[in-house]
Amino acid sequence: MSSLGRTAAAAWAIARKDALAELRGKHAATSTLFFAALVLLLFGFALGPDSRKLADAAPGLLWLAIVFAGLLTVARLHAVETDDDALEQLALYPVDRRAIYAGKVISGLVAMLVLGMVLLGVVTILYGMNLGPALPALLLTLLLGTLGFAAVGTFYAGVTVRMGAREVMLPLLVLPIVAPLLLAAVKATGAALGGDPSGELGAWLQLLVGFDIVMLVAGAGTYGFLLEDV
Amino acid sequence: MACTHAFVPLEPSMPQTTIYRSPRSLGLQDSPPPAVETAELARLFGRSAALAGVSLRVEPASVIALVGPNGAGKTTLLRILATAIRPSFGSAKVDGLDVTRHADLVRTRIAYLSHATGLYDDLTARENLRFSAQLLGLATADAVQGIEAALAEVLMTDAADLRVRGFSAGMRKRIALARILLAAPSLVLLDEPHAALDADGMALVDRMLDAWRGVGVTVILASHAVERIAHLVDGTVHLDGGLVAEVTGRGVASLPPAIRDSTPAIAGAAR
Repeated sequence: MSSLGRTAAAAWAIARKDALAELRGKHAATSTLFFAALVLLLFGFALGPDSRKLADAAPGLLWLAIVFAGLLTVARLHAVETDDDALEQLALYPVDRRAIYAGKVISGLVAMLVLGMVLLGVVTILYGMNLGPALPALLLTLLLGTLGFAAVGTFYAGVTVRMGAREVMLPLLVLPIVAPLLLAAVKATGAALGGDPSGELGAWLQLLVGFDIVMLVAGAGTYGFLLEDV
Repeated sequence: MACTHAFVPLEPSMPQTTIYRSPRSLGLQDSPPPAVETAELARLFGRSAALAGVSLRVEPASVIALVGPNGAGKTTLLRILATAIRPSFGSAKVDGLDVTRHADLVRTRIAYLSHATGLYDDLTARENLRFSAQLLGLATADAVQGIEAALAEVLMTDAADLRVRGFSAGMRKRIALARILLAAPSLVLLDEPHAALDADGMALVDRMLDAWRGVGVTVILASHAVERIAHLVDGTVHLDGGLVAEVTGRGVASLPPAIRDSTPAIAGAAR
């Protein structure tokens, strides 16, 4: 098997292992989803029954819920490596360190995509929105947004995984970095939901693609250093 | 979920030689390099020196014990050789490969059992081993065959499909030992391999040491069970205060100090 093939196989094995652990520890994923849905519900109560106001706020609230859920998800995917010092064992396998990063990004992406799609459904129901024609653009925005968040979140989850105050440090480190991503994701979601009258959707999606590429390259290139001297 | 499986040790079998494989040759030199060679190896943690200048040469196919009191530097030496931590000073080579500069290559030749087993609680024993096999790059057929053979060797076939979360410390260690068998390394590093094991488990470790020696695998183990391992090892390195206090037996030699006294940071930390 080629070097690239081995790296891809190792990344897939790590992602599969994380998915299996997530499915078996489903109480954690369920509580994350419940928490995110509760955020949407409470904001819905706060904004009242005005459908116009709800539609205006929906993109921001959707991404707020995804960010909260995403932070918990990437932290949990790394926390599983601290039990019985699995992270040290993982670092000692003869695999490219980029495979470990890629595996963690894939598992984070899949978990956040599932959460995001459920939350999109929750927004539709709670805020009485019709996604119909906007759905393809919304799903693309969701994919690009969660990919970028997984790229950044995985790196910083690796930074904080051995810290005592990692629950505090992770959002402090991640949120400033993902600010451009959140801006683009919220704007793209709003444009998609509103039918993109001013034709800005493409530009925001391009920003998301650029952010994702930069963060994936930077994360893959530097994540390995986090595994040194573990 | 608590494990309700009653673990019944099977009759210990003879080592299954098919899972104890001879190390791959590097094919670079006419005569093989030492399995391990360290030169004035030192590791500082803050101002404290866990290792303060260890120079050793371990011959291939030797079983070497590291003994000494707590804090002597046994685990630190093993972790440097395993590429888990880097030396602060000096150098260490495995099969002629520097553990810092060629860590990736060294990792293809070593297997390390630390105090922790590094297993995933929500995966079964078999799934944990399958994950290891995938990261070790084993072909599917080899992995399936190897996992079954390794499980049988550590007498854990009956518990293979139970989640590790419910395992005792001894059962976890058996699975970690099975993982080493999958890796087929040229150097096995074991930190207190007999700890947490029952009598059958300890006998299993003894048989594994014997089998590895039989196929030419080098083993370095840290142990406090000096009497138990005395007949199993070729040589013994006594560490104390991060330094080699004494070397006995064969297969290992202590090299004379070269730079320790002229390296103030190490000398000061050692004091």
